Amino acid sequence: MSEPLVLGIETSCDETAIGIVRGRTLLANVIASSVEEHARFGGVVPEIASRAHLEAILPSIESAVKEAKISLNDIDAVAVTAGPGLIGALLVGVASANGLALGLGKPLYGVNHLAAHVSVDFLTHLQPIEPTIALLVSGGHSSLLQVDDITSSITKLGATMDDAAGEAFDKISRIMGLGFPGGPAIDRIAQSGDAKAIDFPRGLTQAADWQTRPYDFSFSGLKSAVARYLEVTPDYAKADVAASFQESIVDVLMLKAIAACTATGINSLVIAGGVAANSRLRAVAQERCAKAGISLRIPSPGLCTDNGAMVAALGSLMVTAGRAPTEGAFDASSSLQVEQVSL
Amino acid sequence: MTIKLAIDTSTSRTIVAVVDSGEVLFEKFHDGATDHGRALGDLVNQALQSHPVIDAVVVGMGPGPFTGLRVGISFARSFALARAIPIIGVCSLDAIDVDVDDYIVAVDARRNEIYWARYKDGVRIEGPSVNKPAEIDGFITDVYPDMKKLCICAQSHDVTEPMYLRRPDAVPTAERT
Repeated sequence: MSEPLVLGIETSCDETAIGIVRGRTLLANVIASSVEEHARFGGVVPEIASRAHLEAILPSIESAVKEAKISLNDIDAVAVTAGPGLIGALLVGVASANGLALGLGKPLYGVNHLAAHVSVDFLTHLQPIEPTIALLVSGGHSSLLQVDDITSSITKLGATMDDAAGEAFDKISRIMGLGFPGGPAIDRIAQSGDAKAIDFPRGLTQAADWQTRPYDFSFSGLKSAVARYLEVTPDYAKADVAASFQESIVDVLMLKAIAACTATGINSLVIAGGVAANSRLRAVAQERCAKAGISLRIPSPGLCTDNGAMVAALGSLMVTAGRAPTEGAFDASSSLQVEQVSL
Repeated sequence: MTIKLAIDTSTSRTIVAVVDSGEVLFEKFHDGATDHGRALGDLVNQALQSHPVIDAVVVGMGPGPFTGLRVGISFARSFALARAIPIIGVCSLDAIDVDVDDYIVAVDARRNEIYWARYKDGVRIEGPSVNKPAEIDGFITDVYPDMKKLCICAQSHDVTEPMYLRRPDAVPTAERT
């Protein structure tokens, strides 16, 4: 089977997403988001997300099949995000994938959400993904990974010790009254701000940190520093605060990502996850990777945030690599470790 | 002659059956309040081994604890889509088989509450609702939906949305104190 046709299901947070790929060709990418329902709560409410998934999943599968101009029976395999994520949300997707696979009599792959984020690169670049360092930054995750084989061998080099980068964007955005989700809001207002206006702290970048936790992140100190600044500076300039806050996050992310490339001798970096859609991160990454001689790949913004195409892409890679499908019945795992690429 | 795959995950029990015109060809269950995801795939797989041809899916739409309930509905809908066969939803309480004319059935709704409904001469006349047990008189509990009855109900009912009966708990940012 040279060009497997794979349907991917992603429901780990607030996006009900279905992707269909043939080999490395993206045929359909349907996303139904419940983000607007969460906005008035200032963050994702698990029960609301789970209800929205159940409502959206069948129509999303149907429209993806239509968009891809295929018949469900043509599918070679079903792939689904098995974790990490919100358990109630994951379970809706896993149950649906199970029902589809059993109904069609096709193999099912339960895959890792983080590995899927990196896999999406497979759809946009012809060269193999591995070996590469991957910086995965979203509302739920901030990790530096070493990817030796996307279907079987991923090593976590470091991760956030407190908030995820995207979470910090959401919180600061909420304090400044810029709304939810915070990433796009801060990105937008920061365009007109001065990134050097305020010197916010860079977490875990002291000399001692480089010895003990070179690839870990911490954003809670930054969050407190920004909150304190806003408290003591009643007439603060929103654009400057946004730009300076964003600069601190981007600076730390790129310092550590490039250090990981240098230390491992892997001159390739993939940046994925929702925060990879941030325009400042994309610009700084281009600039610093070019300077360091690192080949940089960042998916288009639409493929950075949670989507089904990335799950289908990983499923396609699994089938092509001859990996065994997930045996028997399986459950979603809210804390699935990145080392476990598939169940 | 319609061979139905019947699924209910509205209680701590995951139940799967294959029913043909009132005759139960296969029935198995698994008990475990957080096991629906794992159990359902297994049980349906077993059912399909002996009965590969299914003409329709009947699924219990609750009321019941949300997470497990959604597993059954999500699975059933996708299975029906994959097979291009009809799916019929039934109020799970209607499928509880009680051998009297006038009764109230109740299942655990957690948080010290029950989901309940009142029946007379085989017809639901009150509910489904959610209340404290002390507010409802003389209910029958520790009962599970009967898959044969679920399929009989499917001939005259079709519940299309899950019966949550409760709103999500979240409080909007603007209303927090």
